Amino acid sequence: MRLLLAFILPLALLAPMAGPARAGGLAIVLNSGDATLSVLDMAHETELRRVPVLREPHHVALSPDGADLLVGDAGANEMLFLDPRTGDIRRRVPMADPYHLAFSPNGKWLTVTGLARNQVDVYDAATMALAKRFPLSTMPSHVTYAPDSSMAYVTLQGTNRLAAIDLRHQVVSWTAEVGATPAGVIWLNGKLLVANMGSDHFAVVDPVDGRVEQRIHTGRGAHQLFLSPDRKTLWVNNRVDGTTVALDAATLATIHSYRVPGGPDCIDFAPDGKLWITQRFIQKVGVLDPATGALQSIPVGRSPHGIFLTGAR
Amino acid sequence: MTDPFSLAAGWLTETVLLPALYAVGGMEWEEVAFGWALFACYGVAQVAVTFAVCLPLERWRPVERWPDQKAVWVDVLYTLLSRVGVLPLVTFVLFYQLQVGLNGWLSDHGWVPPTLERLVPALLGHHLLTFFLYAVILDFSEYWRHRLSHRFGWWWALHSLHHAQRQMTFWSDDRNHLLDDLIGFAWFTAVALLIGIPPMQFPLLVLLLRFLESLSHANARLSFGWLGERLLVSPRFHRSHHGVLAAGQQSANYGAILPWWDVLFGTADFDRAYVRTGDPSAEEALATGSYVQQQWAGLRRMARMAGWTGPRQAGGFKRGH
Repeated sequence: MRLLLAFILPLALLAPMAGPARAGGLAIVLNSGDATLSVLDMAHETELRRVPVLREPHHVALSPDGADLLVGDAGANEMLFLDPRTGDIRRRVPMADPYHLAFSPNGKWLTVTGLARNQVDVYDAATMALAKRFPLSTMPSHVTYAPDSSMAYVTLQGTNRLAAIDLRHQVVSWTAEVGATPAGVIWLNGKLLVANMGSDHFAVVDPVDGRVEQRIHTGRGAHQLFLSPDRKTLWVNNRVDGTTVALDAATLATIHSYRVPGGPDCIDFAPDGKLWITQRFIQKVGVLDPATGALQSIPVGRSPHGIFLTGAR
Repeated sequence: MTDPFSLAAGWLTETVLLPALYAVGGMEWEEVAFGWALFACYGVAQVAVTFAVCLPLERWRPVERWPDQKAVWVDVLYTLLSRVGVLPLVTFVLFYQLQVGLNGWLSDHGWVPPTLERLVPALLGHHLLTFFLYAVILDFSEYWRHRLSHRFGWWWALHSLHHAQRQMTFWSDDRNHLLDDLIGFAWFTAVALLIGIPPMQFPLLVLLLRFLESLSHANARLSFGWLGERLLVSPRFHRSHHGVLAAGQQSANYGAILPWWDVLFGTADFDRAYVRTGDPSAEEALATGSYVQQQWAGLRRMARMAGWTGPRQAGGFKRGH
């Protein structure tokens, strides 16, 4: 049956969607604990196949032109370039400890954090040549950018700090203490939001100097933040409490808290409005319907981390 | 289907480890925590399977019978500390910053540690074959680490803790000095930097390999036959390595899982069978002391062997005939 679906699905992707009660396309899930990628059929919420990689894939990013899906295999020291429509691996490039990665909004830079090597690498996205390596202590975790691509911001999980990298001059502008074990970071409405995993909140940070202006409670182990495609809702995953919290992106007021067990981590948004959430410790991907609160879980590989939905773009 | 070890490790992480790390301000270790939980779950399974198989074997066909087995209980403690993950966790924490520093320094100098699959691209996608190749290479590396631990006096002093046991049973595999374990971890790290290490994709095979290591120490009259003895290390084969005449510099049968290396490098001894075990030159504390006494005696012996305290010792350092 799986084999059959694997053949039928690419054809189905080309066909026009009729009455999309469910999102079509594929979900690509990075199983960091058993060196595989799970390719899921979003319409039927089932796993189609597992793609073997080398060691420990964690995070994923779509190239600015949409042609490649980049998967960082931190344990193998290599970057994988996938076909974003099928999840097939096209090529592999040696790269030191690619843990989290993100392209700058203008498409010029690719910033890669090396969590296990205390380094942040900035690459020229067009040539993939290393522009500059920044030794940053300790445990550089997640990265985001200023909308004008002038700055990259990296959380330093081991030292409770946030680092600002001036991309024009390729220097570290400042580092500032933002809270216990900062992990996820995003730019929203002129501020940086930093999820402090060692606490129960995210910090609202001034991007000019790293000063913490406000702390917004979400739940224990606030780990990652995501903005919905319509930019109206901010979603925060709380690793210890096992909750996913929806906040109003404009006011940062809590709208609703959903129970998502198993250490919720990364999120991607399906066109039908559902959230696909990796559940690290129970080897599943949860499909959360915010309208009803219903959570449907799909078994995948061990310690699923990054996720990418082909049908979302 | 989700494997039960992952589920158990996930449960342990979510309900025990994560709240504990959160409470003590150690959430930066949360990714490591799951890996450790997985290691501990496999460890519990390893101990259970080894116990279920080896104990009946030892009762059925023992090589030796002892009036009491007090000395064995310390080995049980060694096994639990090692397999359930306390020692590996401590070793990991001690080595973590060192590894990070070394890896960062190497990558700054243009060295991206390769993987076996990158060196031999034909292996890509053939995980089972790759796993076996890694197992063979790591066993080869272990052969040399083990052989060198008998070669250098100070190192042998530490390793002699493992050999001092006169009541060798399947529990004796993990009976090691802490410093010897640390050296082993450093050795493994060096190999990992050269060829990478395989991910835990075949947990049952890992379990089987660890089981074979425990079985090789069993107090059981068990041979794998002429051919089998040359393919896998058996209790008969490994017992010769632990024999009273083999303790020291010129021992035999160093292989952990594969006897191939002993055959290849001329250290195999298939003749002697079911010998008495122990190190006659070791002080009694190394054989029958408590855990702490054994560790302390190992340090003292290392200092003596290295010539740090009193004249350099050579006792028990040559193989008898």
